[in-house]
Amino acid sequence: MTEAVTLKITLPKIPDIELVALEGLDRLARHLGIDEEKIGEARILVTEAVINGLEHSGEEHPTVRVEFTMTTADLSIFVQDHGKGFDPGSVEAPDIKDKLGSKNKRGWGLNIMKSLSDDFHIESNRNGTKITIKKLLR
Amino acid sequence: MEQPFSLTSELRDNCLVITTSGYVNNVGGEAIAAEFARHFENGTKQVVINLGQSKVVNSVGMSFLIEIIERLQEVEGKLVFTDLDPAVEKMLSIMGLFQYAGKEKTVEDALASLPGGEKPGR
Repeated sequence: MTEAVTLKITLPKIPDIELVALEGLDRLARHLGIDEEKIGEARILVTEAVINGLEHSGEEHPTVRVEFTMTTADLSIFVQDHGKGFDPGSVEAPDIKDKLGSKNKRGWGLNIMKSLSDDFHIESNRNGTKITIKKLLR
Repeated sequence: MEQPFSLTSELRDNCLVITTSGYVNNVGGEAIAAEFARHFENGTKQVVINLGQSKVVNSVGMSFLIEIIERLQEVEGKLVFTDLDPAVEKMLSIMGLFQYAGKEKTVEDALASLPGGEKPGR
């Protein structure tokens, strides 16, 4: 049976706090002997999920709850904020053609997370947003 | 842990080569765009960005690079990325940046690929 290791942390909104989550991710990977290159995409997923939660929660002092469960086969990432929520269906996929010439060049996070994950689920209501991601590591 | 962001730049045959190190977040992305703008105002139209020492980037930082592409389009300039970590390369691909920018393995390769750029053995 594959060993599963779990890390749970709560992150406040301070500059580059997502790097704390990445440090935890790297340590879990090293513990399980997972290659550096297999963690690269997971790093981006975690970074985008944490930033998304902290940037868009709408809270005065936002925090996000982050939970990783890693085996040698896969990684589950759960990120929850406690903000005002939003309608994920109303977010249009960004297009570089539209971004060129537009003042708003941001808004890539959800699309990147969907594209890089093997399974992506988002649930949002007025009590907050939960993002659940699965990433295969083999 | 990923190191704080820093960059260096040099001009090689009228091509601006920016080399980054550490996490490219919003501050890093803005710094790259500012360095580009400084040289763009002086007529530089060819840019190489070496991200080899930046294994962690975020989409906010990368969105500043769209601004560089936009301004280079105005003057028929060219942007080439080099030394990309596979995950970073995939992220830039998802964002569609390679529709408007090139990618090469090394800075030397990028310079050789640019019109009038440095050729190997020169």
